[in-house]
Amino acid sequence: MLRHSLLVTFFVSTLQAGELSFNRDIRPIFTKHCTACHGGVKEAGEISLILRDKALGEGESGNRAIVPGDPVQSELMRRITSKDPDEIMPKPKHGPPLADEEIATIRQWIQEGAEWEELWSFTQPKEVAVTVKKADWPKQVLDLHVLAKLEQAGLSPSPESGKAEWFRRVSLDLTGLPPSPEDWALFRDDAAADAYEKAVDRLLASPHFGERWAVMWMDLARYSDTKGFEKDPGRTVWPFRDWVVRAFNADMPFDQFTIKQLAGDLIENPEPTDLVATVFHRNTMNNTEGGTDDEEYRLAAVMDRVSTTWTAWQATTFACVQCHSHPYDPYPHEDYYRFMAFFDNTEDADLNDDFPSTRTANDPAQQAQATKLEKDIRAVREAINDQALAVTAQINDFKMLKAAATKASAATGGIAQNADGVFVASGTNPTSSSYTLTFPAESFAAIRLKILPESDDPKKWGGLAAVCGDFHLWIIKPDGTRQQIKLREVIADSLSGPFDPNEAIRGGAPGFGDYPAQRGPRWCVIVPEQAVVVEPGAQMEISIFHALSCNADNQPSILKKFTLEASNNPALVQFIASPEHGARWQQHGAMNGQLNAIPGTMVPVMTERSPKARRDTRVFIRGNRMTRDESVTAGIPEIVQPPQKTEGLTRLDMAQWLVGDSNPLTARVLANRLWAELFGIGIVETIEDFGTSGTPPTNLELLDHLSLRLQKHHAWRIKPFLRELVLSATYRQQSKASPELLEKDPRNQLITRGPRQRLSAEMVRDQSLLVSGLLSRKQFGPPVFPPQPEGIWKSAYNGARWETSQGEDRYRRGLYTYSKRTSGYPSFLTFDAPSRDVCTPRRINSNTPLQALVTLNDPAYMEMAQAFAKRMTTASPELPAQLQQGYQWLTLQEATPEVITALVALHADAFAEYNKNPADLQKIAPSAAEAAMVLVANTMLNLDSALTR
Amino acid sequence: MIHLTQLEHLTRRHFLSKCSVGLGGLWLASQGQSWGASGARKKDPTQPLLPDLTHFAPKAKRVIYLHMAGSPSQLELFDHKPELIKLDGKECPQEFLAGKQFAFIQGVPKMMSSRFPFHQAGQSGQWISDRMPHLEKHIDDICVIKSMYTDQFNHAPAQLLLHTGFPQLGWPSTGSWATYGLGSENQNLPGFIVLTSGGVNPDAGKSVWGSGFLPSVYQGVQCRSQGEPVLFLQNPEGVSQSLRRRTLDALSDINQRIATEVGDPETVTRIAQYEMAYRMQIHASDAFDIKQEPEAVHQAYNTQPGQESFANNCLLARRLAERGVRFIQLFDWGWDSHGTGPDTDLTKGFVDKCNQVDKPISALLQDLKQRGLLDETLVIWSGEFGRTPMRENRGGVEMAAQGRDHNPGAYCLWMAGGGVKGGYSHGETDPIGYEAMVDKVSAHDLHATMLHLLGYDHEKFTYPHQGAMHRLTNITKTGTKVVKKVIA
Repeated sequence: MLRHSLLVTFFVSTLQAGELSFNRDIRPIFTKHCTACHGGVKEAGEISLILRDKALGEGESGNRAIVPGDPVQSELMRRITSKDPDEIMPKPKHGPPLADEEIATIRQWIQEGAEWEELWSFTQPKEVAVTVKKADWPKQVLDLHVLAKLEQAGLSPSPESGKAEWFRRVSLDLTGLPPSPEDWALFRDDAAADAYEKAVDRLLASPHFGERWAVMWMDLARYSDTKGFEKDPGRTVWPFRDWVVRAFNADMPFDQFTIKQLAGDLIENPEPTDLVATVFHRNTMNNTEGGTDDEEYRLAAVMDRVSTTWTAWQATTFACVQCHSHPYDPYPHEDYYRFMAFFDNTEDADLNDDFPSTRTANDPAQQAQATKLEKDIRAVREAINDQALAVTAQINDFKMLKAAATKASAATGGIAQNADGVFVASGTNPTSSSYTLTFPAESFAAIRLKILPESDDPKKWGGLAAVCGDFHLWIIKPDGTRQQIKLREVIADSLSGPFDPNEAIRGGAPGFGDYPAQRGPRWCVIVPEQAVVVEPGAQMEISIFHALSCNADNQPSILKKFTLEASNNPALVQFIASPEHGARWQQHGAMNGQLNAIPGTMVPVMTERSPKARRDTRVFIRGNRMTRDESVTAGIPEIVQPPQKTEGLTRLDMAQWLVGDSNPLTARVLANRLWAELFGIGIVETIEDFGTSGTPPTNLELLDHLSLRLQKHHAWRIKPFLRELVLSATYRQQSKASPELLEKDPRNQLITRGPRQRLSAEMVRDQSLLVSGLLSRKQFGPPVFPPQPEGIWKSAYNGARWETSQGEDRYRRGLYTYSKRTSGYPSFLTFDAPSRDVCTPRRINSNTPLQALVTLNDPAYMEMAQAFAKRMTTASPELPAQLQQGYQWLTLQEATPEVITALVALHADAFAEYNKNPADLQKIAPSAAEAAMVLVANTMLNLDSALTR
Repeated sequence: MIHLTQLEHLTRRHFLSKCSVGLGGLWLASQGQSWGASGARKKDPTQPLLPDLTHFAPKAKRVIYLHMAGSPSQLELFDHKPELIKLDGKECPQEFLAGKQFAFIQGVPKMMSSRFPFHQAGQSGQWISDRMPHLEKHIDDICVIKSMYTDQFNHAPAQLLLHTGFPQLGWPSTGSWATYGLGSENQNLPGFIVLTSGGVNPDAGKSVWGSGFLPSVYQGVQCRSQGEPVLFLQNPEGVSQSLRRRTLDALSDINQRIATEVGDPETVTRIAQYEMAYRMQIHASDAFDIKQEPEAVHQAYNTQPGQESFANNCLLARRLAERGVRFIQLFDWGWDSHGTGPDTDLTKGFVDKCNQVDKPISALLQDLKQRGLLDETLVIWSGEFGRTPMRENRGGVEMAAQGRDHNPGAYCLWMAGGGVKGGYSHGETDPIGYEAMVDKVSAHDLHATMLHLLGYDHEKFTYPHQGAMHRLTNITKTGTKVVKKVIA
């Protein structure tokens, strides 16, 4: 014990005064030892070491944990150096004590004034000038930053690669395809000083550019052609994939790209295709399994939108905040729900038909008209209801109807009226059951139906749907004759959900109410064609039929509590009968007719509910939707520089904030992502996590330079940004790794050499198709079904079958392959393509025997080998020259004589074996020489230099 | 915070790059090292399936999980409820309906007692119905947990919860955690193999054997008892095994030159992976060739080579277990006895399903025992939830066939071998078998127990994801416990 304390006494920090950085030196110690208890999840003793105010303020004990400039008065110092097991921090059961050096570092930091810093990623990026020794190497500013780090580490860059190595790499990186012989010849033979620039410009202008970068975005957008879960039925969203490809090809600036996808439905003067961009957040899964709770899965989708937005744009693990404040970073629990409020108010509700959707016209020329019609139809319908609501507001003599008799059609259920006039259902009234209510009749001109939630406590709202299906009304005269009253129109408190309220009086249709979940009280006024005058002694009978099921069609949507009122004020009857009102309905009908005449595909989109139908977003205690707490309004966490405006923020405001000047993360996250695509590893390796728990940047100055360059200089345009990257001296280095480089920079994070990456799942296939001459360059349209083994698709309750595409669709680029969530395309999954159930910010490449089985044995690859063999054979009369040509098509490199010798020998052995074995031969090619060539082609498609870039 | 991926690359990978295939993991294991409290591990990505270290000595070396997809009725098999006989045919009391969510029941359904008689069996006297006469012979080897419960009442989310700890898609499955931790004892076969029967994949699709955020190499490999056992295992038509060997020699030769030229360690790994693929072709073909088995074995299992059947899959499970595959998961479709037609009628389709699985399961247990494998193999049987003690009345109407709706409140699961206490019934449900009451066991408790038997402390067996050290037992859930009573 004595020895130990002596050591502490004499251990001094090796750092010089003023050298300490909170982020570099102190935060990691807190994260390692302290924040599990004194962080966002737990604030033991009211101390949190992730929030400046809580760290530097008073704790529960009244003592200050950290007193700047005074380690002796700092409770934290006393605790971490204590010898008393009841006092020492961390508590012995939680972990070992801090190392002496760590203690000394903290002491020095407090001594020097406990300067607090926010995490690097929350500060604004800044341009820092650097100086280098090897001044003739850099071609761009980014090279200066890379070189500065190399020189600090005592390293120097690798030599520039040959033209072929660079050109194949840049072609695959920018377009996802290797160069064609013509592309290669054009660049190889171009001796001009700007040959590299021209080559890059050709690649950037290629229509295939967008296809390659769309794949990256589709992983983030969790794009899939199916809805997920049990039945995993198909979903038509390919127009969104095409929108993304076109956006990349047109070099749409990333700020617009962002705003259109997150809030394309809210833009004031949108482009006709902006609505399709909002499919981004309709790629959430939809559970159609029988009996699933639609509200549960609606909320799951909303929460997925929150975490996807934060992962894709902010590289922030915001999902943590759903249950508690963030464990490491300053995001309070409530902020999750404030942010969720941006997404909580869209019309979609996990309905089997993916409501709401928009029409994408088959003929692009008709898109503008279709989009306008949809918008106008909605506006006219709103206007009709709003005008009627204004008239309704004049009626103030609604009187509660008191029933003389009530009857529920189901033997298992009941309906009764309380003394206060509220009808209450009891027992179980299933779908297709009805209530029949009889009243002493009085003359009336309007009936008001109020649908009430079961509970008076708004925290408990959100249960099963309550929809008034068929509403019928009869007058029963004293002599017993029944007269059905013709009903004309239903005026609703708000228009929301998938059904028009008028459907309640049109027979057999869904009806009026909250569907698929009961959000809160609703009301409507039902207007007869004419004011109804009744004779004394007559009775009125109202029947309400429940036509609808909710929760994937398995639970009844019955009225559980409601009231009925009547008024004899004829204002609405008169208004409804007016010619102006009729004309508006005619206009509405005519526009619907025009819209339906435009052939197109329906695509699910984001649609904001009207302000009148706004959902009440509440905090979920510990993330559980069943325990709803206080209401919140939409807002953005303080730490990420929210906009000045704080009231009435919309999804559009949120999207604009993401790409606004103050946001410290978006440009860094994007620049890092694009860098990682080209260099194989991010400057921040955890491209999905820029928080305390992520990896720190290996070169913050480089990252900041790149993000400012992208956001400011290039005004969010990705093409000129990528152009600088691929033309840089850094990217142009050769990828050869010497043992020394592998030792000093094993993962090439300092970029001591050119990048060398395995091809992505899609690239492996696309390249093989291209070199074999089979590739179809056809773009866009519905997904395709290239050959896949039998028996892969076996979803429950889903008869969908994989019908292999015919013609050129068999050979389309990988991104057009049908992507089914519960059963992905096998060879893509093997090469690490995600199933896209959720946002996938990073594919982690594996290297497994199953990959070898795909490219060696998959019949699809054998077909490519056969075509590749044929192509090589026609290139030259001589075998060695054929092989040399094939090798060059595949790798752009000249094969060494040893490689050619090895391939020729393989060919000879195969030739001999096929001559001995004609039965095998017939299965592959007409002659032994051709069969041998197929085998060689199959081998070449598996070469390491073919599978990497 | 140092990330695992960094560690992977900086440490063992470096060591192993200088080491011949197969040495690394065994070397570490031979040192008897443990991971310590931090749980941070170093895994060599070039040899991801090498056997690896555990927190403590494992009782089970491998797992065979028999999942009856759709969920068999516990009330017709293992949970004997005399009280329910008294209530048979009566209307369900309101207290059982208030606040409940059902998939299909509407209105007030009728109570329904077990359609089959129960009796006590074996030395242990555990209760069992007359539907599994062959399994009954092993009643003293199995431990029935009668108090399983879940909070999911739809198939896909319930299956996901049972196999990944989360009701959503996208989390690593039990099998992928086990192979991530333990690797495999056979480098020539996938470490985590999935076999399905009944013609349909489980409701949650391939996500129930997905690897989530774990490296994709740990995902289950779906193999088939009909056709190629592993996708693309067989050489293309017209390519003989000798020609394939010749191809690989040429490929290896050229790739070696590339490796020397560019110095990329991934190239060296790739050469090794191609060789492993070649060995897998031979070993997997052999493992899946049940024709090699003697007639007596086929009789016992009721197997017919070349078919896709649960019986064939049971025999394959034994052959894979013998070969050191770490996690073998069987899904058998067709247990969703709603009573909407003969197939889902408890007195018809359910009886057929029982007959299909009874003999093969019994043969599997017998076979494992005879070969001395049962002690080190944890065999688990279950559905994803239970079934209601009420008769299903879809749309509020009594149906012609007799069925039961989904019941998350209680279901039965049994375990055998692998360190489990045989002949023991764990937990109790209420008098009608509706809710687990005594010694309740959640999916997380089950996972903690499985990991314990495999040698892991579930709280320390973690992987960094989205800013937290995640584990199979769902860090957001508290109170998860190893079910000590079921351990021998």
